[in-house]
Amino acid sequence: MKLRSFFPALLGFTLLVPSQAQTALRLAAAADLEPVLPPILEQFRRATGMRVDATYQASAMLTTQIMNGAPFDLFLSADLSYPKKLIDAGLADTAGSADSSMPITYARGTLVLWERKDSPLPTPSLDLLRNAAVKRLAIANPDRAPYGRAAVAALTSLKLYDALKPRLATAENIAQAAQFVDSGNADAGLISLTSALTPHMASSGSYFVIPRDLYPSIEQGAVIVSKTRQRTQARKLLDFLLSPPIQAELAKAGLTPVH
Amino acid sequence: MDWQAFALTLKLASVTTTILLAIAIPLAALLVLGRGRWLAALEALAALPLVLPPTVLGFFLLVLLGPRTSVGRGITVVLGHPLAFSFDGLVVGSVIYSLPFAVQPLVAGFAAVQPNLVDAARLLGAGSAKIVLTLLVPLARRSLVAAAVLSFLHTVGEFGVVLMLGGDIPGATRTLSIVLYNQVENFDYAAANRTAAILLGLSVTALATVYLTGQIRGGRRA
Repeated sequence: MKLRSFFPALLGFTLLVPSQAQTALRLAAAADLEPVLPPILEQFRRATGMRVDATYQASAMLTTQIMNGAPFDLFLSADLSYPKKLIDAGLADTAGSADSSMPITYARGTLVLWERKDSPLPTPSLDLLRNAAVKRLAIANPDRAPYGRAAVAALTSLKLYDALKPRLATAENIAQAAQFVDSGNADAGLISLTSALTPHMASSGSYFVIPRDLYPSIEQGAVIVSKTRQRTQARKLLDFLLSPPIQAELAKAGLTPVH
Repeated sequence: MDWQAFALTLKLASVTTTILLAIAIPLAALLVLGRGRWLAALEALAALPLVLPPTVLGFFLLVLLGPRTSVGRGITVVLGHPLAFSFDGLVVGSVIYSLPFAVQPLVAGFAAVQPNLVDAARLLGAGSAKIVLTLLVPLARRSLVAAAVLSFLHTVGEFGVVLMLGGDIPGATRTLSIVLYNQVENFDYAAANRTAAILLGLSVTALATVYLTGQIRGGRRA
């Protein structure tokens, strides 16, 4: 391309403007909800006519973003500590629920041990964690990913953490931990049931539910971002998520209902 | 300050830059001296790592180098371990990720050498290797420095590929950018500020030194 035509073309592209987004509800959602929420948000749109733009990220990252003024209306975290941090900072609230100092629990997470079906190792069980042939075990970052914290707690309860520590591959979030195992690079992984139940992961692997008494419950908390201009709508979405039919749907996707 | 991560990052950047120059010099020479339309395709291919988001590039490498492909299985047989979650894996990822930063300055530098000098050398019987090493490389010295500096710094600051391919293993794949990211994400802003300050301070000093020696030895226009 001649310079004469290259630079005008370049300038021309700078003028391209994406069509203005309508005022949709902006939702910040934890990474483990990515396989779960889209059909539910679609149902919400059909029921109320309200469109929801969801951003899926690690809860810690979303918290940092909200602390720095990210324009979200509702935050669905994968734990209670991050939304609690926002409440304590005066940046989020629970829209008048009974205990205004604690986020509203909308679901509970389940930790599973996942392995590819074509793995030469035995099928997933607690014994697999004791198997020396597991050279790499994928977990999410225990410093910030709630499922990573649960994974370390479970391994500690089983008195396996010290032995497995050198063999852990730590992923940024739970979705990435799933990719580590699904791509065959890690032999097994402690991931979320929501990931394990996605059509792709369900067909490529099998899972074992880690007994719940081995780790503290993964309570997933929601808060309304205080400076939202769509408080009523945000509250409506939260109530929708807490309604029995949607809770039943969350259960099918791998989250434990709160009722 | 995590000095283990610091040393690992310097090692990764040095190994990557060395390998990159060994690949990029012949590649850039081929692109400049060669004839044929397929070279345009090759040049485009060499620029591609710029297009993909680093985490996506890291994901593709994770899959490609993993035990589910024949490439990955071959590597596992040769090395005795899979490339992912190892230092060697980061080197492979970094070389691919920073390739354009080594190739582009060299292509520009080599192309700026007077063609009649190359023709004269060829008439006097010099082979391609000799033309590259005794003519193009010395004349494009500043481009070579630019290629090395950019490759090195780009690798030091590399994040997405390391995040995907590394698995955050101390001493093997936990680089400074991962440490810095962890500190930020864990709300440990004081530590993050320290790490970033040291990283930036050292980079500015190192760069200034490189540019200063370049000026004394060869002059800015060499």
